[in-house]
Amino acid sequence: MAANRDTLWIYVVGALLLLVTVAVYTQYFQPEWKDYQAGFHDLIEEKLGTQKAAQAPAGLQQVWARQLDRVDRCTTCHTGTDWAGLDSAPEPYRAHPREILAHHPIAEYGCTSCHGGQGYATDMVRAHATTLEHWDEPLLGKELGQAYLIGNREALMEINCNLCHRFDRTTAGMDYINRGKELVAAKGCRACHTINGRGGVIGPDLTYVGDKSPEQYDYSRMSGVPSVFGWHLAHFKDPKSMSQTTVMPNFGFDSRDAQSLAMLVMSWRHANLPVRYLPGAQLADRPTPEELAKEHEMMTGPGAFFVQKTCFICHSVSTLGIESAANIGPDLADAVADVPRRFGIPLESFLANPTGTMSVVLSTQIRLTPEEKQTVIEKLKIAYQKKQEQQTKSPQAVPKT
Amino acid sequence: MQIRTAWEKVTWSWNPRGEREAGDSIVRNLLLHWFPAKVSLPSLSFRYSLWLGTVAATLFFLLTVTGVALMFLYVPSVERAYLSVKDIEFVTSYGWFIRGVHRIAAHLMVAVVVLHMVRAFLTGAFKNGFGNVQNRPLNWIIGVVMLLITLFLSFTGYLLPWDQLAYWAVTVGTNIARAAPVVGEGVRYVLLGGHQIEQSALLRFYVLHCFFLPVLLLGLFAWHMWRIRKDGGLACMDQMILTSPEEAPASAGQKTYALLGITAGRTASVEMSAPGDEQHEVAGSPNLTRRILLVALVTVVVCAVLAVLVAAPLEQAADPMVTPNPAKAPWYFLWLQELVTDTTVKLGDFTINGALIGGVLVPGLLMLLLAAWPYFDRSSPLATGLWFARERRTQNLLFLGIFVLVLALTAVGTFMRGPSWNFYWPWEAWPDIPRNF
Repeated sequence: MAANRDTLWIYVVGALLLLVTVAVYTQYFQPEWKDYQAGFHDLIEEKLGTQKAAQAPAGLQQVWARQLDRVDRCTTCHTGTDWAGLDSAPEPYRAHPREILAHHPIAEYGCTSCHGGQGYATDMVRAHATTLEHWDEPLLGKELGQAYLIGNREALMEINCNLCHRFDRTTAGMDYINRGKELVAAKGCRACHTINGRGGVIGPDLTYVGDKSPEQYDYSRMSGVPSVFGWHLAHFKDPKSMSQTTVMPNFGFDSRDAQSLAMLVMSWRHANLPVRYLPGAQLADRPTPEELAKEHEMMTGPGAFFVQKTCFICHSVSTLGIESAANIGPDLADAVADVPRRFGIPLESFLANPTGTMSVVLSTQIRLTPEEKQTVIEKLKIAYQKKQEQQTKSPQAVPKT
Repeated sequence: MQIRTAWEKVTWSWNPRGEREAGDSIVRNLLLHWFPAKVSLPSLSFRYSLWLGTVAATLFFLLTVTGVALMFLYVPSVERAYLSVKDIEFVTSYGWFIRGVHRIAAHLMVAVVVLHMVRAFLTGAFKNGFGNVQNRPLNWIIGVVMLLITLFLSFTGYLLPWDQLAYWAVTVGTNIARAAPVVGEGVRYVLLGGHQIEQSALLRFYVLHCFFLPVLLLGLFAWHMWRIRKDGGLACMDQMILTSPEEAPASAGQKTYALLGITAGRTASVEMSAPGDEQHEVAGSPNLTRRILLVALVTVVVCAVLAVLVAAPLEQAADPMVTPNPAKAPWYFLWLQELVTDTTVKLGDFTINGALIGGVLVPGLLMLLLAAWPYFDRSSPLATGLWFARERRTQNLLFLGIFVLVLALTAVGTFMRGPSWNFYWPWEAWPDIPRNF
């Protein structure tokens, strides 16, 4: 009967659905990166023992460099990046060269801002993105370096370095880019091209030429796979071969120079960098050496007591080298003579029974023991003495208070 | 009443024993009261309707379930949409699968709804039969509107990933819409919430896609099914009156149809109904429900398998400054884009406005013709619910001709238009897409 046939088919299709469900469900538990993490675990166990191996990362790892808006999951497979003793381990477990990490910590830079690739991805092919159709920021590593026969296979990465280091004359570790910058200066590119606001108008403005879309280049005279990097290489080696109507001379660049220049121009892109990522940017209000010396003198010199007791906030003691920023009260170098003039009592009495603002200050903010008050008097006497000596040497008008 | 176990108490209506229980199950189960108590055998046949309507409804259900799941993960903001989809693909557990099923079901739904319409046309299901108060032309119009909403649903969803494919497909689509006379610019402005495809467009499309259009479609679906019941069932029912007129029972004249007889007056099913007439009818529960379950399961399996085999694309992040070459509309609008190309003809200094002719007037006219066809149809009720009825041969051929033309235009747009919209024969290679490295 039809009903039985229907029921049979329901069971068959249901079984199929169950199979598909199980297949989809179980593949979740066997992602590529688990194999890499297992391999890492074994490596650490072998080299450093079981206890260390327990510290090996498990699960998806992610670095979120917020200010650069990058989310990189490379460390899911590249687990050895921060480990000591793995400098010659096989990839992907090899430790990252330390020196550069000191200036470019992974937590602040991520990985792809320097190396390229698709940080969001969690499997190798899509993360490295060297052949992906719809991600045009491939890993600038050995594979591409090999394809373009770059002498230093890993040099392509310098393109990304130059996004931040664009305005350095030279930067350590960026040999190709440095060479490129050298050539730009030496060969007079600015005679025809505007670069960073300076230059001629015979050729196009190259300031952000790295942003030009691959589709905007003319590959009709190029052989092989059409790529922007390839176009630049060919163009630098012989401009007329790529652009018939050009007036750009043939500089006779060899391969290395052409590669250096191609890498340089591809690094000329818009980069919205937070200030802290700009090399050499001063973020702190740093004191000058003179200001530092003065500070040191105030804290260790003859007037150090007045700094410790915070008198200097309102009062200068000029002859002891104490300069107040606010100068709310009078210069205490004069106090020995000034107090009797103002209040009609000697300094000692004033200190014992202050009036006005000082009565508030000395009863609430600055508490002086009798010994300290004695120290104050002694020091102010010395200060006054110095003042008098100064005045005999170079008579001055009584300072306004 | 027989003593029942707890299990039987819960499940009896889905597997009723005997006629009495079968009838009872329809009135006493919330979900089942939706269905007819009795279904004719021809209506249940796979060969008649191909069950395309059920497939479409199942796809809609799948889309709703996967869609709601995606709503927890996707962010409809220009800055974050693309990245949220990347996260769905790479990080969310089974995110790739949910998204894959959603996409496959969406494309399938457009195709199945179109095929359902083709079936309805070729079987003359938009025609009234012999019943008193049938209004199948109205149901046909409801169906056409549902088709347009389905297309619009797919179109609004297409934009959401905010990648190059999405952005430029919507650019093409809205620019064609702009060519409509008088209202074109205004419609585009309202759709996009501005002049550019930006945050307001994304948010609008998102709200339309997730709320208004599905709710509208659901409402129309309810009306569509209601009309089926009021019209006495599927159109093939009206053929039954021709095969068994002598079986009209004597009691038919005295019966009143106030409660279960939703139809006012007598329809084909009423005319030929007789108690226990198993030759022509079976109980809705479980026969109809069982078949619906089977069709639904097959649909789900097909979607699941396709989602595993075919990855959902995600191109580069949308870049208004860089137009991909070629920039194509979604496949169900490619026939329009191709038509626009073909009607943009240069005559000396003057260029015919292909966007207007091919993009607005021709499809607009076709849609109007489609919706109004039941009123132009001159065939008799004898051709209702019959595949390739002789009487309707001309109109069927005309319809199929236009349909094949649309398919051909779609094929040309998909396979034979390459970079710069140049024409490439299927055996001609397209030039390599240039890359940075």
